[in-house]
Amino acid sequence: MKPVTRTLLYCYLAVGLFVTLFLVHCGLTALTVTVPEQAMVNERVTFVMHSGAEPRIEEPGTYTTQLLAGIMVPKSWNARENAVLTFTSPKGNGTMRMIPNSEIEPVSGVNWHQAAKNMFGIGPNLVDDFEWIVYRSTQSYTFRNNEDINFDVNVECNVGAENMLVRLGFYVGSSIENLRPEDTDYKKVAFSQVFEVTGGEGDLIDFVNPQLAAIQPVRSLDNDIITLTFDAGVTHTALDNQEDIYLTIKCFDEAGALIAEVNEQTDKTRLTDIGGKRFLLDFWPRGYFNLEKDQRIARLEYYCTDATGTQRVGYGNTEEPFTYTFRCQ
Amino acid sequence: MKINVILPAVLLAFGLTALSSCEDGISNVSTAEAAKDITGSWKVVQLTRNGEDLSERLDLTDFRIDFNPDGTYTLAEQLPFIANAPGTYSLSDPQYPFALILRPEGVQEDVVARFQFPVVEGERQLSLSFSLGCESNVYQFNFERENQDL
Repeated sequence: MKPVTRTLLYCYLAVGLFVTLFLVHCGLTALTVTVPEQAMVNERVTFVMHSGAEPRIEEPGTYTTQLLAGIMVPKSWNARENAVLTFTSPKGNGTMRMIPNSEIEPVSGVNWHQAAKNMFGIGPNLVDDFEWIVYRSTQSYTFRNNEDINFDVNVECNVGAENMLVRLGFYVGSSIENLRPEDTDYKKVAFSQVFEVTGGEGDLIDFVNPQLAAIQPVRSLDNDIITLTFDAGVTHTALDNQEDIYLTIKCFDEAGALIAEVNEQTDKTRLTDIGGKRFLLDFWPRGYFNLEKDQRIARLEYYCTDATGTQRVGYGNTEEPFTYTFRCQ
Repeated sequence: MKINVILPAVLLAFGLTALSSCEDGISNVSTAEAAKDITGSWKVVQLTRNGEDLSERLDLTDFRIDFNPDGTYTLAEQLPFIANAPGTYSLSDPQYPFALILRPEGVQEDVVARFQFPVVEGERQLSLSFSLGCESNVYQFNFERENQDL
């Protein structure tokens, strides 16, 4: 090997070793969050993320980056419009700015908010009506070796007008590292304990606890295709050990008048067993109830039944029907 | 040392010559994009809602749409689709369409679906994205031509 080539090879190896050491020993400390147990509807609440940086950089190198922070909240909170993120740290305090939708996260090829949703999902929540929103500090900060700091990110946000039980998601990261799937040092994620919003009108939206029966998407109209699930593992019911579960369902208009009813135990009403004592049925309400063009469904009432239709289970394992209201907001 | 200087220079000269010799050939190649022809009978092969694949869970056998050469389309009855009646159709651009525009009979407004025309596993697909109920729910219908091989 020629001396020049050998020197180049050594240089490459040295850089590779430096990068590896740097990745292993540098990063953010675990993320914890302070979230109140509950709030009233439309209240402006402050959530706090606590994390820190532990730069281990070979002297005289430095590490310059911007702080990233993300929140996962219900879409109905409209947090893009009303959330404000600020941070405090020994290196300075500042406000964070939402990363524009047009900016692509380089690793995933989609925008930062979608990239965070794809990577972190909805955590321990069971129903998806959430959005991840990612913010970035307006200034860059330069770290030297062993310049360990703790920092807090404060999130102020209105909690929306719906009663709910929810576990919120939080993320901190370093802007120059992007959202690499294999990285565990520069992206820290945490989900809160159960946070309750009370005092509003309408049903409680429970994102956290398994539901006996539920319809998704959470927001839809009668022209959407909806998925009804029955989870027999949630509690003991009259349908324990039933192999086949059927649906009996009524639809009502805005005035509360009955439009149509499907009460039969056929393939049309049989839920598909998807394992784990869970069953589901997908249907398009307008077709399912054979609606005329000018008819609109406002609300559904339904029970799950056995193959004879005599044993049935309703809301909270009672004689009350499960209900679902069609709405987009 | 001399070789180190001369060799790149020679290679560069060759490269430039090769480039200039291609010039005429490149300019003569027709670059006109073909107009997109969607006429025919299309059946749904995949249906997703907010990215979740529902194809295996829904009966899609009767789900088809016919685009006729005279600019009209017809649907099978009672389907979850942006149009619930037959009518006329057009593409936002004949060569580079990004939208399919439908005008169902008896409706005064156009309904618009995001349009893609990819080739998937050797088969041309017609991919339409739109909302049916709430805007937050986005459906993607992927169609394949029926009797494509005939």
